[in-house]
Amino acid sequence: MILFRLVSWPYLRKHLFRGVLTTAGIVLGVAVFVGMHAANQAVLSAFNQTVDRIAGKTQLQVAAGEAGFDEAVLERVQSVPGVRAAAPVIEAVVETGLPGQGNLLILAVDMTGDRSLREYDLEGGDEDIIDDPLLFLAQPDSIIVTTAFAARNNLRNNSRISMQTMEGPKDFVVRGIMRDGGLGSAFGGNIAVMDIYAAQKVFGRGRRFDRIDLAVNEGEDFAEVQRKLLAALGPGFTVETPAGRGVQFESLLRVYSAAVNMSSLFALFIGMFLIYNSFSIAVGERRSEIGILRALGATRRQIGALFIGESAIGGFIGSLAGVAFGIFLAEAIAGQVGSLIEGLYGVAEKAEDVAADPGLIAAALSIGTVTSVIAAIIPARSAARVDPVQALQKGKFQVLSSGENRLRRWLALVLLAAALLCLPFGSNRFFFYGGYMLLIVAALLFTPTLALWLARLLRTPLRRLRPVEGALAADSLLQAPRRTSATVAALMLSLAMVVALGGTSQSSYRAIRNWLDSALNPDLFLSPSQDMVSRTFHFPGGMREEIERIPGVEHVQTIRANKITFRDTPVLLIAAEMDRLGSRVKNENLVVAGDPDTLYAEVGQARGFLVAQNLAELHGLSLNDAIAIPTPSGILRLPVSGIVRDFSDQQGSIFIDRATYLKHWKDDTVDTFRIYIGPGESWQAVKGRILERFAGRQRLFVLSNREMRDYILGLTDQWFAMTYIQTAIAVLVAILGIVNTLTVSIADRKRELGVLRAVGGLRNQIRGTLWLEAMSIGAIGLILGLALGAVNLYYQLRMVRQDFSGMAFDYEFPWYVAMILAPIILGSAWSASMLPAESAVRSSLVEALEYE
Amino acid sequence: MVALDGIDLHVERSEMVSIVGPSGSGKSTLLNLIGGLDRPTSGDIRIDGRAIAGLKDDDLTRLRRDKIGFIFQFFHLLPSLSCLENVSLPLHLRGMPRRQIEVRARELLDSVQLGHRVGHLPDELSGGERQRVAIARALVFHPPILLADEPTGNLDSTTGAEILALIHQLNRTLGSTVLIVTHDSGVAQSCLRTIALRDARIVRDERRSVVRAEMP
Repeated sequence: MILFRLVSWPYLRKHLFRGVLTTAGIVLGVAVFVGMHAANQAVLSAFNQTVDRIAGKTQLQVAAGEAGFDEAVLERVQSVPGVRAAAPVIEAVVETGLPGQGNLLILAVDMTGDRSLREYDLEGGDEDIIDDPLLFLAQPDSIIVTTAFAARNNLRNNSRISMQTMEGPKDFVVRGIMRDGGLGSAFGGNIAVMDIYAAQKVFGRGRRFDRIDLAVNEGEDFAEVQRKLLAALGPGFTVETPAGRGVQFESLLRVYSAAVNMSSLFALFIGMFLIYNSFSIAVGERRSEIGILRALGATRRQIGALFIGESAIGGFIGSLAGVAFGIFLAEAIAGQVGSLIEGLYGVAEKAEDVAADPGLIAAALSIGTVTSVIAAIIPARSAARVDPVQALQKGKFQVLSSGENRLRRWLALVLLAAALLCLPFGSNRFFFYGGYMLLIVAALLFTPTLALWLARLLRTPLRRLRPVEGALAADSLLQAPRRTSATVAALMLSLAMVVALGGTSQSSYRAIRNWLDSALNPDLFLSPSQDMVSRTFHFPGGMREEIERIPGVEHVQTIRANKITFRDTPVLLIAAEMDRLGSRVKNENLVVAGDPDTLYAEVGQARGFLVAQNLAELHGLSLNDAIAIPTPSGILRLPVSGIVRDFSDQQGSIFIDRATYLKHWKDDTVDTFRIYIGPGESWQAVKGRILERFAGRQRLFVLSNREMRDYILGLTDQWFAMTYIQTAIAVLVAILGIVNTLTVSIADRKRELGVLRAVGGLRNQIRGTLWLEAMSIGAIGLILGLALGAVNLYYQLRMVRQDFSGMAFDYEFPWYVAMILAPIILGSAWSASMLPAESAVRSSLVEALEYE
Repeated sequence: MVALDGIDLHVERSEMVSIVGPSGSGKSTLLNLIGGLDRPTSGDIRIDGRAIAGLKDDDLTRLRRDKIGFIFQFFHLLPSLSCLENVSLPLHLRGMPRRQIEVRARELLDSVQLGHRVGHLPDELSGGERQRVAIARALVFHPPILLADEPTGNLDSTTGAEILALIHQLNRTLGSTVLIVTHDSGVAQSCLRTIALRDARIVRDERRSVVRAEMP
C-alpha cells in the first residue's frame, strides 16, 4: 500500500486524463451490464407484483390458451375435490380514449363468487355495492376503477367513462373506487373491474371465459389438486400458479438480455485491450522508476503486485462509475422493456423503482475489477522482469523481437484452422461458440501482421497525398507495428460488432419486407383493434359473408390468432382457411420445406400443420415430424406438412385450417379479415364502403396494405431499438478506443517527436504526419473491422437462428454501415490525434528530448 | 532560478570550442539556446549576424535544419528506424527526392565507417556506432555549426576518443564551427578554446594555440 501511495498515486495523478480514458471501456461495459439487468429486474419485479395483486388469494389458474373455453368448464373445475373456491375471469384491454391515459386492463369477474379470492378495498360508501353483488350485476354498465385512475381523470362515484366495446364506444358508470394497494395498484392503477357476464357481451366473448382462478381447501395437497384438475379437464388445459404468467415475459426478456449482454461483453473485452495497451506503455515509461525501486530493494513480486494493484483499483473505480451510469441507463432501458410488456399484454408496465440489488452490484464490481486485473497481468509481468541495471541507463529501449512475431503468427494460424474445423459442427453449441471465440482471438493475433501489410499498401497513396508527411506517416506505421496494432485491434473489434449489428438489422428488415410482399399481400386488413397485437376484441365469424357482398371486394380470408403453449413455450396458433390462403400468397419466397402445390390442401384437410421456420429451428422440427398441440378438446397430433418463412411471432407460429380450429376450439370468432379487391377498384372506395356497412354496430379498423406494412415495420423498429443502442455503444467504444490509444501512443512518442523537431521537422510537418498516421490507423482499423465484421455477421445470424428467435435471415453485408462508419472513424481518428499532436508540437523541445 | 546570467560569448567561424563546468552550471542550456532548441527569457543570440531569439518556431526549425547539426549524449536515434532511415530523416523532412536521400545517407554512413551497418536498428549497434550514426545524421546538410552535448559521455574511453577524432576531422575538413559541452577535461583540452561556466556565468574563456596531440 505504501508503494502505491508513494509510487503509483503520483503517476496516476499526473496522467489522470489517460487514466480516465483507459478505464472508460470498463465503465461502459459495466454500465451496459448493470443497466440491462437492473432494468429487467425492475420491470420483472413490477410485473410479478402486478400478477400477485391481480391474483389475490388465487393459488391456481386454469386456462386453455388465449382462446379461452366454454362456461361449462367452471362446473367441472368446481366439482374437483379439494377446490375451495373457483371464479371465472375475462381479461380485456381497452383504449380509454383519455389523453395520456393509455390502455386499461379490464378484469371481468363474477362478483358473487370472486370475493373469496380477491379483496376489493373500496373507498367509504361504496362497500354496499360489493355487499350486494346483485346490484352490481343488475347494472351491466357498472365499473370499478382505482383511486389513482379516478384521481388522474377527475372521476367520482356515478361518473361516466366511455370505453371501446364490440359495438363501438359505450358509456360505463363508475360504481366503486378501489383504494391504492393490492388490486388497486396493479399496472399503476390502469385496471378496472366489471361483471364477467357483461364483459362477455361487450367484448364479444360469447359464452366463454378466459380462465378460472381458484383456491384449494386448507390443508389440501396443492400438487394433488393440480393433478386432479388436469385429469378432470384433459390435456388441452393448463393448471398453473399465477407466477407462471411471468414465465412468458421472462423468456422474452432472456432473448433481449442475451443480445445486450453481448454488447457488454464486447465493451469489456475492448476495455481489457485498452487497459493492456495503457499499462504496456506505462511500463515502458516507468522503466527508470521500476529500476530505482528494484535498486532500493523491491522484489519482482512487489513490482508485479504494484501494477496489478493499480489495475485493480482503476478497475474498481471504473466499475463503481459503471454501476452509477448503469443505474442511470436502467431508467431508460426500463421504459423500453416496459413497452415490450405493453406489446404482450396491451397495458404498459411502469417500473417504479429502478435500483440495482446488492448481488448485481457485487457481480458488476467483480466483473469490472477482474477484467481490469486480467488486462494488467502481462504488462505487470513485463514490469517485474525489468532489469534494474538497464532500466537505470538512459537512452536504452526495448524492441519487439521477431521471434515473438513468428510465434504469434503461427498461433493465429493454428487457432484459425481450429475455428474453421469447428464450422461443420456448428449446430453443436460448444463447437459453434468455441469456434467463434477462436476466430476472434486468431483475428487479434493476426492484427499486427495484417496492419503491417495494409500499412505497406497505404504507403504509396500517402506519399502521393503529402510527399513528406505521407512518407513519414507510412514509415512510422511500418516501423512500429506494435504501436499501430493496439489501436487497430481495439477498433477492429468494435467495428466488427457494429457491422454484425447493422448486418443483422439489414438482413432482418429485408426478410420481413420479403415476407410482407409474399404473405401479407391483401389490399385491406380488417381488425377489431387499432392495435393489431391486442386480441381483446374479435369479430363474429359470420361477418365474412357480409364483407364478401360489399361491392369491390373480390376475395376474403379469415385469420384467428391465439397464443398456445407448445413444448412449454408460448407460440402463436394461426387458424386460416388454407385453400383460400394458398391461392393468394406468393410461395416462391415463402415455403422453406414441403410441396407448395399440396401443402395447403394437406393442412386444409387436417392432415398436417404448417409451421414457421423459426419454430422449426428452435424445436428442431423437420418435414413430416409429428407434433402435438393442446386444444380445449384434447391433444391434436399431426405431422409437419410444410415449413414457411413467417415473422408473426418471436417464438414461432403454427398454422392450422379454420375448420380444424372450429372443431377443436369451438370458437368461430375472427381476429383479422384479409381482403383482396377486384381489378380496377380503389382501396379507398372499398374501405369507405366497409366502414359505411358496419358503422354504429361493429367496432372495426380498416388498414390498407401500406398501413399494415408500416405498422409491422414500426413494430420491427421497436424491437430493433435496443440494437441501435447496442450499435451506439459499439461506435462509442470504437471512438473511445481510437482516442485512448492515439492519445497514449502520441504521448509515449514525446521524445521521438522531439527528435523529429530537433532535426528539422516543421510544426506543420509533425502535425500533418501525426494526423495522417492517425487517419491511416483509422483506415486500417476500418478495413480490418469491416472484414472481421463480415465474419462476425455470419456468426451473429447463426446465433439468432440457433439460439435467439430461430429466424433465418439471408446473409447480406451492410454496405451502408461501411459508408457511414468510414467518415465517423476517419474523423474520430483525426480529431483524436489533434490534441496530442498539438501538445507534441507546442511542448518544450528540450523537455521532449529529455523524455525517457 | 536563473539558468544563465550575463553571458556574452562570440564564436568565430570554424572555431572549435569546448564548454566545461560542473553539473547545473548551465552548459547544456547554453548549447540548447545556441541551437535554437530553447529560447532565452531575455538577451539575444545571433547566428551569422541574424538574431534567432525572436524567430517564429518554423523559421527557427529551418535555421536549425540548414545550419546546425546536433550530437547528443544519448544519441537520440529513433529505435524503430534503421541507421539509414535515421540519417535520412532530416532529408525527408526537407522533402528531397527519395533516391537522392538514400544516396546521400549512404555516403554519410560510409564517411563515418558504418557503410556495412545501414540496415541495422540502433539497438543492434554499439554505443560508439550509435554515436557515429547520430553524427552522420547531424551532417546531412553540411551544417556550418556542429553542437555536441557530451558526445563521449556515454561511451568508453577508446570509443570516446574515436568519436572525438571524428569530430576534429569534420572541423578540419568541412570547416564547421564546433561547440562541445563536456565534463571531460581531455575532451575540453583537445579544443583550441575552452569556456568555463559556474553558477550560470562564464568564469573563464581560455584560448590556447596548441592542443593535446593524443585524445583522451
